[in-house]
Order: sequence, then structure tokens, then C-alpha cells
Amino acid sequence: MKLLIAEDTQSLSNALVEIFRRNGDTPTAVADGNAALALLTTNEFDAAVLDIMMPGMDGIAVLRAVRARGNRVPVLLLTARSAIDDKVLGFDSGANDYLTKPFEPKELLLRVRAMTRGGAADDTLTYGNISLDRSSFALSSPSGSFRLANREFRLMELLLSTPEHVFTAQRLLEKLWNDAAQADEAAIRIYISYLSRKLGALHADLTIEQRPDGYALCRKEAAA
Amino acid sequence: MTAEAYYGDAYPGMKAAEAQTLALLNQYAAESGAQQGLHPIVYCCSRIKRPESMTQKLRSRGLAPTAENALRAVHDAIGVRAICAFADDVMQLVAWLRTQPALTVLKEKNYYEYPKPNGYRSYHLICQVPVDGTPFFVEIQIRTIANDFWATLEHQLKYKKALPNEALIRSELKRCADEIASVDLSMQTIRDILNETK
Repeated sequence: MKLLIAEDTQSLSNALVEIFRRNGDTPTAVADGNAALALLTTNEFDAAVLDIMMPGMDGIAVLRAVRARGNRVPVLLLTARSAIDDKVLGFDSGANDYLTKPFEPKELLLRVRAMTRGGAADDTLTYGNISLDRSSFALSSPSGSFRLANREFRLMELLLSTPEHVFTAQRLLEKLWNDAAQADEAAIRIYISYLSRKLGALHADLTIEQRPDGYALCRKEAAA
Repeated sequence: MTAEAYYGDAYPGMKAAEAQTLALLNQYAAESGAQQGLHPIVYCCSRIKRPESMTQKLRSRGLAPTAENALRAVHDAIGVRAICAFADDVMQLVAWLRTQPALTVLKEKNYYEYPKPNGYRSYHLICQVPVDGTPFFVEIQIRTIANDFWATLEHQLKYKKALPNEALIRSELKRCADEIASVDLSMQTIRDILNETK
């Protein structure tokens, strides 16, 4: 993982670089806020560890500037301050996590790992003879595949990640339609229908069941 | 060489078999359209395989490039294609063709429901169509506009020179096929929903 470390105390900066290097990461260290901002806006880093008190721009100002540009790189703030108000300011400015000095190197690594954890660990969801590739949006079976559009994909991802679980229409709206005012159950029915069609065309041994209380992706019952 | 010269005496019969198959498809379009106010077949096209293409195919199979072999050893000297509107129209047309006395279905290749690894989707029927008592092989291909969009463009691309990144291009073309097929079924689903609410 490519990490940016912004820390003006040279000895601590060296220690941080060493901790991440031993962890197998690729750290880049800078000693002031302006340099940190310049590097972070390149989008070349997977995460950043920012000290709050730095010459030039402080860590909070760097974080705000980064977020103001729509950049969502995970950021952990590192500081000697431990007052709760400082933590509130840090999180409100867009921090993903916060650690006060002194800290255990192991905890720092765990926190950075936690905030950079994505869905990459398990890139394919599988149930029955159906699989969904989260990186290519491909819904596949042994007889073929379809590439799903965004919302269809997210609906299928939700259903496949908890098969046999009944999702209420309300829950699906919350998860998949951000602006619930514009969506209703008719919208859900269309998307369920799209997926049902495609599962059928793939000769899936799964089906999306409509229950009185919602929808569930289930194994097909053997024909009675 | 012209097709008439290559296929010789069989050529008029081939043209008749081609015309009869097209007429049959037009009959289906008229009948089913009249019933439902729909147009399940958007258009049809047909061709007699060009002599160069046929001789190449026969040679690649180790056969003498004669008109006799073109008509008996392979089955696509006469090709007819029906392009359907919606996904369900394809299998409905296939089912109808199986019941028609004007032709005999000998073999079916269901690349429509079981697409080829490259993403190609189409239903192929090898049929025999009699002309004045003489049977001619006709290959009928049936697919949707969406399938045809992909197949037509892919056909124009793949015969270009060898590519340095061929595997990537192939997988991208497959991705496009799967994307188009997905939209095709979404359109069918929308039609179903509209029909339910009529």
C-alpha cells in the first residue's frame, strides 16, 4: 500500500516510515502541510497519516482542502492532543480515524488496515450455480454471463451476500435508492424483475422469491 | 466466378429455396403481427454463399470444392437471417418454425440461450426446404436486434490483422456482448411489465 506520512518531528517521521516499511507498505514522508497537500491531490496514495501540528498548513487544514476537492483517500490524524473537542474537529473535518501520541505501532497498523479495508478481499460472490464478480459486474453461471448495470448490480450484490434472507422493500429503498422520495416499490419491482429474467436466462438454480414481507434470493425448490 | 456459374444447375432451385424461406418468415411476421399489433421480426436478410467463401470452407474441411459438396456436405450454402425485436420473440419464432410443413428442421444450435464463449448469441436451425421435390439445405439464424448489433460490428472487427493484445480485446468484446444482452433482457422485462398493466 502506498502511504503518505506527514510528520514534522524527524525522529517520529523516521520511526513511522520504518513501521510501515516493515509491514510491507511503501511510505513517503513529508515534513509540512503544503507538501502533504500537494502529494495527496495527485491521488497516488492509498492512505495518509497526518500529524495535526505542522509548520505551514496544519493537518486539519490539509484534510479539509483534500476533502473540499472531493478526494476520499482514507486519512488517519496523529496528534499529541487528546481532548475530545480535538477529536470532534478532526472527524468533522473528514478524518477516517484518529490516534493520540504516544501510540503502539501495532495499533497504528491495525487502524490503517481497518480504514483501508475495501471489498477487495472477496471479489466474487457465489451461491448455487450463480456468481457475481464485484470488479466486472458480471453475473455468471456455467451457461453464460450478463454484465449488470449499476443499480441492478448493487441489488444483486445485496441479495447474494445474504441469500435466503428476506429484505423488506423499505430496506432495499434505503440501501439502493438514496433519494427515497423519488423511488417506491414499483421501482424495486422493476429491478427485481430484471434480475429474475437474467437469472432465468442463465438457467440459475436460484430464484428471487416475493414474500408478503419482502424479497429473498433462494434455492429453487425441486419441482414437486 | 459468379454464384450462378459455380452452383450451376442447382442455382435456380437454391434461389427458390431462399425465397420460400423468406416468404415463410414474412408469413409469420404478418400472422403474429396481426394478432398482437406487434412486429416480432424487424427484418430478414439472406444470401447465397459466395463461391470464394464456399470453396475456402470446403478446402478447410478437406473436401473438393465442388458444387455437389457445397450443396450436400455443408449446410449453409443458403443462409437466411431473421432479426427479432424482443428476446422472447426469438424462441417463439423457433417454436413456430418447428411446426411448419414447408420445411423440415434437421438440427438446432442454441447459441441464443447458451452463448458461445466469445459472447455470440443467436439461434441456428439447419433445415431442409423442398423445391419441386428436391430438398435444399437452408441455415436459418435468429437473433434480436441487440444480438445482431453486436454480431455485425464484431464481425467487422475480428477479421482485421492479428492483434498484439488479442486476449484483452477478446475479453472486452465479450464484456460488450454481455452488457448488450443484459440491456436486451431489461427491455424485454419492461415490455412484460407494460403488458401486465394493460
